[in-house]
Amino acid sequence: MEFLKSVQVSRLLLLLNVTLSIAYFVCVVWLFPIGNPILFAFLVASEIFHVWQVIGYIHTIWPRKRKRSFDARFQPHVAVFITVCGEPADIIEATVIAAKAMRYPHFSVYLLNDGKVANRKNWQEAEIIAQRQGIRCITRTEPGGAKAGNINHTLRLTVEPYIVVFDADHIPKPEFLIETMGYFVDEKMGFVQSPQYYKNYELNQVAGGSWEQQALFFGPLLKGKDTVNATFMCGTNMVIRRSALDEVGGMSEQSIAEDFLTSLLIHNKKWKSTYVDKVLAEGLAPEDFLSYYKQQFRWARGSLEILFAYNPLFQRGLTWAQRLQYIASASFYLSGLVVLLNALLPLVYFFGAVKPLTINTMTLALIFLPYIFVVLYTLQHTSNFTYTFRALSFSLGSFTIYLKALWFTIIRHKSGFAVTSKKRVSGNHGRLVTPHLVYIGLVVAGIAWGVMREGWSASMLSNIAWAFIYIAAFSPFIAAAFERERKPVEVLA
Amino acid sequence: MSPWKRGIVYALLALMAGFAVFFSLTVFSQTSLRLDEAQSLFQTNRDLGGMVHLIAQDVHVPFYHTLLHFWQLIFGADIFTARMLSLVFFAGTILLTYYLATYAFGRRSIGLFAALLVTISPFMNWYGSEARMYTMLSFMAVLHAIFYIKILRASSTSSWILWTVTAILGLYTHYFFVFVLLAELVAMVLLKRHFADRKPIRNIIIAGAIAGLSLVPWLLYVYSLGFASNTQPALSEPSAGDLFDTYAQFIFGFQTSSINTVIISMWPVAVLLAFFTLQKSNKKIPPETTVFVLLATLPVLCAFLISVTIRPFYLSRYLIVALPALFIFIAWLASRYRKRVALLVRIGLVAMVGVLFVIQVTSPNTPVKEDYRETVEYLTENADSSDVIVLAAPFTIYPVEYYYKGTAKLTTQPIWDRFSAGSVPAFDEATVKQQTEANVSSYQKAWLVLSYDQGYNDKLKKYYDDHYQKLGERKFSPGLVVYEYQIRYDPKVTIE
Repeated sequence: MEFLKSVQVSRLLLLLNVTLSIAYFVCVVWLFPIGNPILFAFLVASEIFHVWQVIGYIHTIWPRKRKRSFDARFQPHVAVFITVCGEPADIIEATVIAAKAMRYPHFSVYLLNDGKVANRKNWQEAEIIAQRQGIRCITRTEPGGAKAGNINHTLRLTVEPYIVVFDADHIPKPEFLIETMGYFVDEKMGFVQSPQYYKNYELNQVAGGSWEQQALFFGPLLKGKDTVNATFMCGTNMVIRRSALDEVGGMSEQSIAEDFLTSLLIHNKKWKSTYVDKVLAEGLAPEDFLSYYKQQFRWARGSLEILFAYNPLFQRGLTWAQRLQYIASASFYLSGLVVLLNALLPLVYFFGAVKPLTINTMTLALIFLPYIFVVLYTLQHTSNFTYTFRALSFSLGSFTIYLKALWFTIIRHKSGFAVTSKKRVSGNHGRLVTPHLVYIGLVVAGIAWGVMREGWSASMLSNIAWAFIYIAAFSPFIAAAFERERKPVEVLA
Repeated sequence: MSPWKRGIVYALLALMAGFAVFFSLTVFSQTSLRLDEAQSLFQTNRDLGGMVHLIAQDVHVPFYHTLLHFWQLIFGADIFTARMLSLVFFAGTILLTYYLATYAFGRRSIGLFAALLVTISPFMNWYGSEARMYTMLSFMAVLHAIFYIKILRASSTSSWILWTVTAILGLYTHYFFVFVLLAELVAMVLLKRHFADRKPIRNIIIAGAIAGLSLVPWLLYVYSLGFASNTQPALSEPSAGDLFDTYAQFIFGFQTSSINTVIISMWPVAVLLAFFTLQKSNKKIPPETTVFVLLATLPVLCAFLISVTIRPFYLSRYLIVALPALFIFIAWLASRYRKRVALLVRIGLVAMVGVLFVIQVTSPNTPVKEDYRETVEYLTENADSSDVIVLAAPFTIYPVEYYYKGTAKLTTQPIWDRFSAGSVPAFDEATVKQQTEANVSSYQKAWLVLSYDQGYNDKLKKYYDDHYQKLGERKFSPGLVVYEYQIRYDPKVTIE
C-alpha cells in the first residue's frame, strides 16, 4: 500500500517548512503595510491557523522512533464486536464470515444489532445471519448513546478482557488478531488501531475523494501520532483493553465522535496506544455525496465539540505532545472558517477595491511562493505522493460542512449519530454545493465589476488568479455532488 | 532506440537549430547595433593587449572577448559577423540542453521539450544574435552541468577534470558563473548520499578552489588598474517584481509593461501547477531535479539578495546561467502530468511562448529594442557640419559612432574623454550650464540624443528646454529620443 510506505524525511526540510511559514507570517503581520484593518485581522487569523497547521504537521511527522513491545505468543481471549445498524445483509454476513475466519485461538464474534432501536426495517436480518453463522447477536431494545451505547451495552453482557470493533462493512483479514494482540503484552497498552482502507475507492468520485483524504490520515498522520503515543481510535478495526475502557466508563456517549473522545479519555488515564501500519481490514467508503456529507459533518462536529468541551490543553493526564496532537487533529475542522475567509478576499477586492495588505503583489509572491512550494512538497513527499488534487478539493470544498459543524457546536445544537450509508443514497445532491456555485457566480460578477472600475490592473489579475484557484479547487467537489449513478463495479474482497 | 527513431530525434534537433539560425539571420541579426555590442566591438577591434586592458576596466572577464577578437580576425569585423559567434553558442546550447536533460532524466521526450523551450525562447533568440557573451555563458552552464551530473552518477577523474576546466572557462566567461558553482555545492550537500563519489563535498571544494584560484591573476590585474569601471551603467536596486520579471523574461521574452503585468500577476496559478506536478504519480522524483531547481533559482536569488543588500548588479541577462536549468526543470515538470494533460500543458506553453515571440519581434515598444541605426540615419540626414550631436548617457557614443558618418560633431554630456584613464564622469547639476555651453555654444543646432537614462536625462532635457528653442523631437525605440534645438540664429556661412 503506497500510503503506508515509509518515507525518509530530512529534518532540514522540516525545519525549513517551519522557518519559511514563520517568516511568511512575520512579514504579513509586521513588515507589510496594512490595508483594510478588518480584512487584515481576518488575514492574520487565517495565517495563525496556517502556521499552526504547519507546525502541527511537522511535529506529527518529525522522524523519531518509539519502542513498542510485541509478543506474538500473547493470545488472551478476545470479543469481536461487529456493530450493525440496518446495513444490507450481504455486507454484514461477509464481515461475520471473515471475522470468524481470523487466525487466532481464543475469540468470540458478536453482532451488535442496533437496527431495532434505529427503526430499521431489516433489523431482524442480523439475527438471522448470527443464527446461520453460529454467533451471538445482541439486539438492543433500549436506545441511547448511538454506536457507543451499542458497544457499552454489549460490554456489560460479555467478559472477554479485549474487545475488537469492526463496522459492519469492514472485512477483517485472517491475520488481524495475530498482528494486533501481541502489543497488549505491554500492560499499559490501552488500544491498538489499524488503518481503515476503502476497497471501493474506484467506484466513483465520492468514494475516491473520501479515500484519498483518508490516505493522508492513515499514512503519515497516524504513523506520526504513534511515535508520540497519540494514536486515536477511529471507530473500527481497533482492539481495546477492557480495563482501559472500564476506567473511563466505557465508550463515551457524550460525543458523536465517540472514538476520538474515548481515546482522549483513555490517554488521559496514562494508557498507551499504538498504530499498526498494515491494512488488516477492508471497508467501504461513502458512495454518495449525502453520505459523505453526513460522515464529514459527524467527524467535524465531534472533533470541534472536543475542542470546546474537552479541550486537550487542560487534560492533565496527557503529555504535551499528546495535547498538541489532539488539538492539531480537532482544530483541523476550523479550516472551514479559514477557507471561507481566504476565498472571500478576492471577492471583497472585486467589489470593494479593498485588501488586507497594500504590499506590491510581487513582493507578496516573493515571500509566499517559497513557503507554499516547500509546504506542498513536504506534504506530498511525506505522504509518498498519494495526496491528490481531488483530496485537496474535498478538504477545501468541505468548508461548508465544517462551518455548519462549527456553528452547531457554538450554539450547542444537538446532532444525532448518523451511520454512514453502505449503499448509495440516490438523488441529486447538488443543493449541498449551492454555496460553491454561488461563489462562482459572485466571482464572475465581481470580475466584471472590478475590471469596469480599474481595468486589468496587477491587483485585479492576482485576485482573479486566486479566485480561479478556489474555483478549480472546488470543481471536483462540485462535480462529485452532481455525479450520476454509475453501474456498480465488482469489488474484490 | 531504433535507428529511425534516432533519426527522428536528430531531425528534430536539426530543425530546432535550424529555427534558431533562420530567425537569427532573417530577423535578429538585421536589427540595429546595440550599446553593449558597440562596446564589444570597441574593445575587440584592437590588439590583444589593448583589448584585455579595456576589459579589465569594464565589468567583465576576457574569455568571450578574446574569442570574438580572433573570430573577427578570421571572419570579419562587422557586427553581423560578430553576432554569428553568439548564434553558434545559441545553437550549441540547444543541442547540449537536449543532451543534458536526456542524460539526467533518461527520457528523450524531456530532452526534446527542454531543447524546444530553449529554441523558441524569445530571450535566448535575442541574445543568440547579440555580440555579447550571454549565449556563450548559457552554453558553458549546460556543458558544465553535464559533467556535474556525470559526477553524480559515477565518480571518475576525467569528469572531475572536465568539471574543473569548464568551471574555469565559465568563470572567465562571466563573473556570475560563480553562482552556478555555489548552486552545485548546495546541491551536493543536500544530495550527498546520492553521489557515487565517496567524498563529493571535499572534491568539489578542491576543484572549485582550483577554478577560483585560476581567476586570481585576472582579479589581481583588475585590481592593479584600480577596479576602474569605465562604462559601467548605474543600476538601480532590484524589486521583487524584477525577480519574477527575470523568469518571465526567460520564458516569455521582453514584453511591454502591460503584457508583463498580465504574466507576472498570474503568479498564484503557479501554486496550482505545483500541486498538479507533485500529486500522485508513479514517476519518482529523481535527485537530479534538486540540481536543476537549485541551478535555476539560486543564481537569481543570490544576485537579487546581493543587489539588495550590498550593491546593485542585478541584470536578467547576467542570469542566463539559470535559463537552461529552468527549461529542463519545466520539461521535467510537464512530464509528471498525465499524458493528455502533459500534452495540453506542452502545447499551451509553446503556443503562448510563440505568440509572445512574435510580439517581441514585431512590437516597436519591446523594451530592449535600441534603434541607433535609424537614429543615426535621421541625424545624418538632418544634421550638418554647423551642428553638434550631444549624447547622454556618454557611453551611448559607441553605437552612434559605429554608424555615424556625417559631418556634425559628436560629443557627450557629461563630457567624457574615453581615451584617458578613469571612469565615465558623474553627472553634476552644478556644471550643466558650463558643459552645455562648452558643447553647443558655437553651433547652429544641437541634437540631444537621450538614451540609457542614468538618472539625469530629464534634468538635462529641462536645461535645454529652458535655454534653447526646441524645434522638434523624435522617438526611435523605447527610451531612445532625439531632441532638436536651435542654438544660434546668425546666418550660416557657406564657404565655396
